[in-house]
Amino acid sequence: MKIRITEYLEIDLDQKKWCCQRCGQMLVDARENYKKGCLVAEKPLEEVYPALTEGQPYGFRPDPNFCRIVEFYCPACGVMIENEYLPPGHPITHDIQIDLDALIRSAT
Amino acid sequence: MPYTRDTEVVQRLKPEAMTQAEQEALAGIDDLDFEIFQHKMNMIALEGKETTMKLGASTGMRWGDVAFGIYTGLGDLAVVATGIWFHAVLGQIPVKFIVKHWLKDETVGVRPGDSYFFNDPFYSGVHAADMGLCVPVFAEGELICFVGANVHTGENGSAEPGGQPIAAKSRYEEGLMVPPIKVGENYTLREDIMTMLGTATRDPRTMVLDIKARLAACRIAERRIQEMVADKGLAFFRGALRKILTTTAKAARKKVSLLHDGIYRQPRFMDIVGNEEKIIKIGICLEKKGDKLKLTFDGVSPMLDAHPQNTFFQGIIGLAMVYFCGWFFYDLPANNALLEALDWEFPARTVVNASGDVPTALAPAIQTCFVHGIFLIGARMTYNLDPERAVASWFSGFGVPYFGGFNQWEEPVADISPELNATGAGARPDMDGVSGAGAFFATMSDCSDVETTEADRPFLYLFRNYFKHSYGAGKYRGGAGVGFGVSIHHVPWLAMGGLGYGSKYPATLGIFGGYAVPPGFIQTVHGSDVKKHLADSDRSLPVNLDQLYGEANPEKGNRALHNITMGIKPFLNGDTFYMPAGGGAGYGDVLERDPQAVMDDLRSGLASRWMAENLYKVAFDPETLVVDLEATKQLRQKAFEERKQRGVPMAEFEETWSKQHPPRDILKYFGGYPHPKPKMDFGLPM
Ligand SMILES: [Zn+2]
Repeated sequence: MKIRITEYLEIDLDQKKWCCQRCGQMLVDARENYKKGCLVAEKPLEEVYPALTEGQPYGFRPDPNFCRIVEFYCPACGVMIENEYLPPGHPITHDIQIDLDALIRSAT
Repeated sequence: MPYTRDTEVVQRLKPEAMTQAEQEALAGIDDLDFEIFQHKMNMIALEGKETTMKLGASTGMRWGDVAFGIYTGLGDLAVVATGIWFHAVLGQIPVKFIVKHWLKDETVGVRPGDSYFFNDPFYSGVHAADMGLCVPVFAEGELICFVGANVHTGENGSAEPGGQPIAAKSRYEEGLMVPPIKVGENYTLREDIMTMLGTATRDPRTMVLDIKARLAACRIAERRIQEMVADKGLAFFRGALRKILTTTAKAARKKVSLLHDGIYRQPRFMDIVGNEEKIIKIGICLEKKGDKLKLTFDGVSPMLDAHPQNTFFQGIIGLAMVYFCGWFFYDLPANNALLEALDWEFPARTVVNASGDVPTALAPAIQTCFVHGIFLIGARMTYNLDPERAVASWFSGFGVPYFGGFNQWEEPVADISPELNATGAGARPDMDGVSGAGAFFATMSDCSDVETTEADRPFLYLFRNYFKHSYGAGKYRGGAGVGFGVSIHHVPWLAMGGLGYGSKYPATLGIFGGYAVPPGFIQTVHGSDVKKHLADSDRSLPVNLDQLYGEANPEKGNRALHNITMGIKPFLNGDTFYMPAGGGAGYGDVLERDPQAVMDDLRSGLASRWMAENLYKVAFDPETLVVDLEATKQLRQKAFEERKQRGVPMAEFEETWSKQHPPRDILKYFGGYPHPKPKMDFGLPM
């Protein structure tokens, strides 16, 4: 049995694993940070934000000294499961830490 | 009492213990009578809100930054009409202060016909620009409740006009801060006190008119409540008011119990301190267990000694209620009994828990930065229960001009402009966000008509409309925000500045792979020739914010771009000022966006060809905007494959990632990167 957690994530209660909701790929143990089961990459800011003000101190693109985009992809289908906007080098966030035992209890 | 701030009363955000009289009255209340009672009370509060808005003068009051509440005799807020949900838990503190300090005080007292004013942010929770007035309601010779109106009037005589001084170094530069004080007796305002309050600000007419508007609304509500008590009896009224709180608390805990147990985290970053471009952090944890939520913090930058981006903890709880009242508990009454489902613990001497004399005038910035994290946590925590409401965030970074000077009628003005009430809504799991939807913290507010604003503000609007670089992209995109430009008009000069954050690090992040709202910034042109172009009917002038930055813009003058937070400076007649009120954040993966929706955005001007090709990977004919579905599918498949090539397992990624570091100088106020520690305790009072 699978429980939907977000747009792109499910927990498989039998296997106790995070899964990609789009393709069913098992990612990692459900007690872990699901991001450990993803492929991770820094997305260059210019691939998302055209600045439109070349040579100026302000524009429609975040400042790379303050902000980088880190993306988390399903290793099987490549869908972007989540992203994070972090200052350079800032630790990645364990954003969803489900109490798996409670989840299993409530589902059965 | 010592003549200082009361640190005990501000802790009392949850409902007071039930009195014997309330308990007895509660037992006999019929369900049907209770339903009718609730409806009537809501109508009384709504009438209070509408009356306040119709009579007031400030931008905030006229355009809906208003909360009208009905409080129990102990000060708990039972009923409120507002879209400013933080007042649902903050409006009560001044009332509890009055009950605690003035009810039994011989020199002050609480009697029929009294009225009390307050704007000390320590009690009102947000900032001194928010001001309130409340009155006690008596029936059969007994105090039965309070009614009151809280409104952003703004100007309070602070070091900069409009009540939000960026340059404030201590609370003594933040203008008038009044703890709850009696301003009227025997149904009459005291002229000596009105004169004092008026004289203390740059705009006495607005100050006093706003006070009178609040009072007029309170008097109508007082009469309606007395009529109801005459009809239904005192015991019924008391019991039913308490019953609103008890049923709300029970329902709130029940709803929380439906969520999965777990811990949810979100670090938040803000890119401005004073007007220095420095980064600070609020690490947020929300633990859900059983029928309770607990808010704790995991690394928060230290309190700023001499910059106003600090908040009192009560303001953080207040802003958390913007999410809870408006989004999660949308189907429950908004009152402070919702807090029975929430516990909290704040680290001392941090930007989220200010103490002492530090300035807090820009508390709204740090509060909205915080609550944006709660929206992100909320979407992840609630998707399973109610996916339709697991939405991306509305714009969270402000972006508001403030100004002071004289208007075209030679009257003093010191205020903000209303476009902060025209930001975009976040994308939803099943559709794009609404453009120009409002403000997430003021969902019933409005951005005024341009003509109305121009009637008593010395501006000529050059344009005000949606623009394409205002929202976050995604499977569903955020609603567009509003870009606007004004020229100083009718007057020789006006002082103007800007407030907000997110010019360097985006203020509003996406959810489930959706992208953040692009940075916002200000453009100014001193010595602009725009009025000459207007006189010549020059049709090549920009008509939206996207067109400002191209070579084709004919406006000449001393052009400069600025951080969205810009200290106040003089502008002469004809000078121009351009600013965005941002759009909403994106939801989901851009590669899942319906190609036809991308073409619709191209047609309406809300997407560029660059976005269609590079971000959304759509193959189309640029002349006809007809999509080649098969070619699009291939482009996207290639993009998915490229991701898999570029991506590496997390451990491998962290190896190189963790060696990076922001430049030292922007971490000046961070408090230790990446895990800030609270300031040393020097034995100072909390
Ligand atoms: Zn997948």
